[in-house]
Amino acid sequence: MKVNKVKRAKIIELVYASIETINGQRSQDYWLELTEEVCLRGKKSRLDSLGLVTLIVDVEERLAIQFGVEICLTDEEAMSEEKNHFANVKSLVDYICLVLEGKQNGQ
Amino acid sequence: MANKQCKCVLVGDFTMDTFAGCLNNDKDYPTVESIITPFDQVIQMLTNEKLGCWTDKPDFAVIWTQPERINQAFNRILNYEKVSLSQVLEEVDEYASLLRSVRDRVNTVIVPTWVLPSYQRGFGMLDMRSEIGISNTLMRMNLRLCERLADIPNVYLLDTQRWIGEVGKKAFNPKLWYMGKIAFGNEVFKEAVKDVKSAYRGINGSSKKLIILDLDNTLWGGIVGDIGWENIRLGGHDYIGEAYVDFQKTLKSLTNRGILLGIVSKNEEVIALEAIRKHPEMVLRLDDFAGYRINWQDKAENIVDLVADLKIGLQSVVFIDDNPVERARVRDALNTVFVPEWPRDQMLYKSALLSLRCFDTPSITQEDAQRTKMYVTERQRKDLKDTCISTNEWLKSLGMKVQVEPISPINLERTVQLFNKTNQMNLTTRRMTKLEMANWVSQKNHKLWNFRVSDRFGDLGITGIISLEIEGKNGRIVDFILSCRVMGRKIEETMLYIVIKYARSIRLKELHARYVPTSKNKPCLDFWMSSGFSYEEQNNSFSWNLFNEYTLPDCLEIVNEEDRLY
Repeated sequence: MKVNKVKRAKIIELVYASIETINGQRSQDYWLELTEEVCLRGKKSRLDSLGLVTLIVDVEERLAIQFGVEICLTDEEAMSEEKNHFANVKSLVDYICLVLEGKQNGQ
Repeated sequence: MANKQCKCVLVGDFTMDTFAGCLNNDKDYPTVESIITPFDQVIQMLTNEKLGCWTDKPDFAVIWTQPERINQAFNRILNYEKVSLSQVLEEVDEYASLLRSVRDRVNTVIVPTWVLPSYQRGFGMLDMRSEIGISNTLMRMNLRLCERLADIPNVYLLDTQRWIGEVGKKAFNPKLWYMGKIAFGNEVFKEAVKDVKSAYRGINGSSKKLIILDLDNTLWGGIVGDIGWENIRLGGHDYIGEAYVDFQKTLKSLTNRGILLGIVSKNEEVIALEAIRKHPEMVLRLDDFAGYRINWQDKAENIVDLVADLKIGLQSVVFIDDNPVERARVRDALNTVFVPEWPRDQMLYKSALLSLRCFDTPSITQEDAQRTKMYVTERQRKDLKDTCISTNEWLKSLGMKVQVEPISPINLERTVQLFNKTNQMNLTTRRMTKLEMANWVSQKNHKLWNFRVSDRFGDLGITGIISLEIEGKNGRIVDFILSCRVMGRKIEETMLYIVIKYARSIRLKELHARYVPTSKNKPCLDFWMSSGFSYEEQNNSFSWNLFNEYTLPDCLEIVNEEDRLY
């Protein structure tokens, strides 16, 4: 079953809330914008590896509270640089939707 | 309040970047610039005083460790190995002596206590048992650390467990540890920031001193003017009435810490006072309030009036009112008064009050516990003043006695407190920690005296400080500080009399004093302008030719002056 538009929008809001939390821990020069295109990983990203870990763990915690599902975004598949699920907010949300769909389909 | 930026050194055995970020981004006073020391280099950081982080004169340091990483014996206990308690405590002692060595490098050292993640169940039902339980051992470790650091005036332990309790399940996340070596969840760091800043404010004399309260639906339920004191909701077999009584008890307990209470209420004064006097379940009586304004005027104006009367700055005031309109009005009109959001539910009043982080002080003195009484007797003094013809006649009728004391371990605490809290009658508004003051007075050419004042209404405690620096044949008054409680009672002149008498006795030629203006110490300038000292406007400085004596006011008596001076 595909994640519908409303749920996707809620996931984007959830990721933005996590970004705001991470911004709260960082100097203003390194704050991330709340857009789907903002880079989370790679040379163009304002996040270092520690920031990325903190962000992803925060997103996981929020998903568990808001949707009642335990989703692992920190396994090797998710963290793989090759697949680059964390390139930006859009790809992160796409990946979360994919994992959620898998869960809903009993995978 | 001017938001001076503080430098803070963070030392820890986990990644401190998240904590540093939260500390740097928090907007409450003071703003902080964190200096993060390398990860897991605690011992190296504590033992090497020459490192840049220490030589850069930081304002304070937070040294945060995890018990299993700093204490090897405890780490073995976590593996269920048999280790004697004495071995664990020996390592605690070693760590305490390392912390002890840091005290001279910074003004304040903050040490969060040790905790374990809540998922660590240890020995379960045996975990609180002596010599077995992990939790039992951890409590003893924390207690031992408290005991070993108790005699160091500038080291403070903060309770990490309370932050964990506030945050709940999100306090620990093993993933943060494995992937980032971050020991706690983000919310724990936010709680820590609030307490660290609150401690800093307390140490620097910025804690709140006065709670101004509304009456109807704040101290009791109902509108007393409409229903009469017999029918207000207070105590009885009524859960709401009980909540009001508990709230009053909590307020009363704060007076034992030196916090003053006041009333600003829109009411008929006679009716409101009758409720306070007559209702059998009132915990707070009139003598528990330093002052009150009960009338139909604007509350902001009444607060200004009351605060002026009590000689307390508006920045030291907390205003509590159940009415959001009144709260908004006071916030708008008086932006330095702290007006906390207040719960609608009376059963949450007590917890709302207890959770305020604005009353922290680095010490509690005897004067603190007596403060309300001092203000009540001040009211009686004023009543007497109204019956006297002249100020001098009134001052004479008070029968004031002034005791001059050199600084000593007995009065150091109170002296530092007065030193750092006083704003109005303060020549230079210099601030010093206990340690800095002890160091300053230990220098041969420095003298510092306290002035303890009493009158027929009671003991006002240590209310004045004057300090002198001797430079060749001249003396310089470095600090001239007087509590606003006794301003205008000729204690100012008495302090000058004492310092001039001393300076003459050691044959100094001239005495100088330089006034450093602040937004609050104009009353000090006013006094000095009328003190008889010569004034040089260009440097804001005053001088006295020590060929001349200074006259002691005739409205008071100095006890043990001679033997206390030298």
